[in-house]
Amino acid sequence: MATLGLLLLGIAFLAAIGAIAAFALGKWARMGDGMSKLGYYATFSAAIALTIAVVLMVVAFFTKDFTFQYVVENHSPDTSSLAWLYTLSGLWAGREGSFLFWAWLLSLFSAWVAYRRFSLRDALSNMGIMVTNVVLMLFSAGMLFSEPNNPFKSVAIGSDGSIIKVIDGVSQVIGNTSTSGMNPLLQHWAMVVHPPTLFIGYAGLTIPFAFAVAAIIENDGSKLWVEIVNRITVFSWLFLGAGIGLGAIWAYVVLGWGGYWGWDPVENASLLPWLTGVGLLHSFTMYRKRDGFKKWAISLSAVTFALVILGTFITRSGIVQSVHAFEADPVSLYLFLAMILAAFAIAIAGPLLRGETFKGNDEFESLAGKEAAYYFNNVIMLVAGLLVAYLTITSGLKGWLGWLPLAGKSIPPTTYDSVARPVGVLYAFIIAVCPILSWRTTDGPTFWNRLKWPLVGALALFGLLMMEFTTSLQPIYNKMIALKATNAAALKMASAGPAWYYSAIAILGFVAASLVIAVTVSMFVTGAKKRAEARGESFGAALWNILTKARSQSGGYLAHIGIGIILIGLVGSAMFVYDNTYTFPNKAGSQFQVDQYTFTFASGQSRTLDNGNTVDEIALDVTRGGKKVGTITPGQTTFAATQQTRTDARVLSEPLRDIFVTMQGADENGVTVNVKINPLIWFSWSGFILLMLGTTLASWPKGGAQPVAVDSRKGISRKVAKR
Amino acid sequence: MYLNKRAQMRLIGVTAIILLVVGAMVYYTGSTQGAYEGDLASVVADKSLVGKQVKVGGTVVAGSWDKKSNPMRFTIRGEKDTSTNGPTLKVVFTGTVPATFGDGVVAIVTGKLGADGTVEATDMITKCPSKYESATGATPLADLMGKGASMEGKPVRVTGYVKPGSIAAAGTSGDRFVAAQNADGSGTTLGVTFSAALPDGMKDGSQVVMGGALEQGKFVATSVALEASQK
Repeated sequence: MATLGLLLLGIAFLAAIGAIAAFALGKWARMGDGMSKLGYYATFSAAIALTIAVVLMVVAFFTKDFTFQYVVENHSPDTSSLAWLYTLSGLWAGREGSFLFWAWLLSLFSAWVAYRRFSLRDALSNMGIMVTNVVLMLFSAGMLFSEPNNPFKSVAIGSDGSIIKVIDGVSQVIGNTSTSGMNPLLQHWAMVVHPPTLFIGYAGLTIPFAFAVAAIIENDGSKLWVEIVNRITVFSWLFLGAGIGLGAIWAYVVLGWGGYWGWDPVENASLLPWLTGVGLLHSFTMYRKRDGFKKWAISLSAVTFALVILGTFITRSGIVQSVHAFEADPVSLYLFLAMILAAFAIAIAGPLLRGETFKGNDEFESLAGKEAAYYFNNVIMLVAGLLVAYLTITSGLKGWLGWLPLAGKSIPPTTYDSVARPVGVLYAFIIAVCPILSWRTTDGPTFWNRLKWPLVGALALFGLLMMEFTTSLQPIYNKMIALKATNAAALKMASAGPAWYYSAIAILGFVAASLVIAVTVSMFVTGAKKRAEARGESFGAALWNILTKARSQSGGYLAHIGIGIILIGLVGSAMFVYDNTYTFPNKAGSQFQVDQYTFTFASGQSRTLDNGNTVDEIALDVTRGGKKVGTITPGQTTFAATQQTRTDARVLSEPLRDIFVTMQGADENGVTVNVKINPLIWFSWSGFILLMLGTTLASWPKGGAQPVAVDSRKGISRKVAKR
Repeated sequence: MYLNKRAQMRLIGVTAIILLVVGAMVYYTGSTQGAYEGDLASVVADKSLVGKQVKVGGTVVAGSWDKKSNPMRFTIRGEKDTSTNGPTLKVVFTGTVPATFGDGVVAIVTGKLGADGTVEATDMITKCPSKYESATGATPLADLMGKGASMEGKPVRVTGYVKPGSIAAAGTSGDRFVAAQNADGSGTTLGVTFSAALPDGMKDGSQVVMGGALEQGKFVATSVALEASQK
């Protein structure tokens, strides 16, 4: 059965090649529309073949078909009510499956665009789909011609559960079904959903790149290509962001270190295209509305794609140590490296070679104008993306690359934070003022007029935040610093700079966040007021209409408010975590103090589950100022099958902070727990949700006609009804 | 199209300032906080690293730690090292112990290397144990058996071959597998008790390197790995 999968991969590979040939011949050999049409059919065929291959794999998982080596290695032994979800997730849990999954998604995106543009079959779309097929061909080749990446390897299972594989003509036992399967750490809902959302983002970001290349080939500087790919780009960026957030949530609740971002190489890998993606989205806005930022749009499309591939390269090449990294294989190394270099080359060469075509409406009159804000947005995001990429791989720069700055050194989270925090705060100020800047230049009185009322709101919000700062955050900082000799987290806090600098960053962060939220909210208020007056609607109706009709702009503003809220959460939960370890006697009633909280040990128990796993748990009652906050039950699970242990951290949430406890160990003499207080963390999660909602609104389809040829004198694209 | 030179110059100027400031900050913090990453043996041998930040990984030595102690202290040995007296590093860790920490787990620690060879670690990540180990320095099975009762209960590192057909699933009664003197199962044999996951790729005739002790005629293994040259 596994060989059927291989056959389907081969069909997809040939279909992709066929599509490339058809489009190339249609254009350069002037064989016309008839030939190009074949390219569309080939694109649909590739998608169908890969869909059947994926279905084949999923069926193999659900029927526990152990003749598939991939199924043996990635099946989930879980028997809970979520078991079906974990069984399904085996598809993307391992290296080969995730490769197949990505290629499949790419073929779907490709087929979708082909379907939408089929009635027009314009030159730009033909070239765009040709490029997506080039990428698909390379991915399929990676799976077909490289054993470590092949998802359809066959094995046989012996009566004792031994896994028998034919290697070099000899049958050999390579393992046993009783000890193989999915890592228990992956059996959590967030971990199931996290990879697919990321892969949807990665696959989708191939589309703007493909059409940027198409625009270069067709020498078409009009906004047609942007109109075609804009919503897919927003959609993909949305899923990428969601994937990153889900990974953070999983890390927070499962990994037991009480944090959600560690600047780990593979975390960084997913962040890189997200950062340049922000620049890309905003460049698209300028391209569509003002016929500007054209070279930025081309370059950022290519850089974002390059960073997507770089991300997977870091994960699969073994070049850096990471908790996530799969084992290395040479084919992926060269395949991905080639794609990365080609994409970066296009990012630089494209705008250079087609300089005249992509000359945009980009005159700058002053730094106090919207254009300048957009420009600095792009610069900061591009630099951030490239910088994080560089810092992620420095530890792998050895030998002939050893002369590069910081080569051979592994960069710790504190270094990333030291730059990310001040730059992030500066960036937030730009987000805050951009909506109230005018195009070209803003004069003082106008700016002040627009800032007046939001400033009141910002001050109110800032006042509340400063109350939290003085009553809760600053005291935590002082208590932690006092512990720095014996506490790793305290030492890191102390090494981030002098106390006044630390407080200044936090306070400025709160100022920026307050401004972002207040100014952006005021955009809705003034917008609704104006609309209500002009159209005789009520304020509420006007506001609703703005949200539902001006979706791109409203969604963008909601996303900005989300960022402001996230910033509040980041200041609290990244900079002011109270983190300490306590040992107390193994007797009911033992107490210990953690910041403002009193913990009382209530009981401890050990129980065995149906599947043979044992769970050891303790119960702690938590009070603050005499009032009970709740009971928390951290513990540890020992898995019967593999004897692996997993700490089960627990969270007790209050509105303004989370209490996060992990049990480190227990015996007759004492119990040791690690407690973290994470202030304002709910702001991070809720800001993230608002960011997702805003982006969803902005990416909501417009419906209606497909964009078509452009009237270059007016920079407007005409739309024709779908045939 | 008229170009506003002054605004453009300002734009370029501010961009340059941002790039320079960010670059300088990164370079400064990266150099002071960046850690030399290397394998355990070279970190131990390199005296110039004392007082500097290092990032080094190794297998947690069985029994060298107590999860309840605060700060957590443990010892790591090089991943590829199988001798009983190879270089080790002591680690003192004051942070939260990762969820999967345990005997035989590979721990990658980052921290300052002290003159006494102890790493004051501020960061630790854990990986699943490496499944390959070198047999150099491990006692061949026949020698172990030859020493007889004097080896009872003493921790040793021993190498042998998996007797064909002897691998059993975890949790079943009886031996997990039988180690033999020769790859075809002939020669001295010894039943092995082991409850954790066997390394991927372990099959009939594989040469294995085990850590553990002889107890009442069986070998109670705490770690089982494939001989490294079989990779």
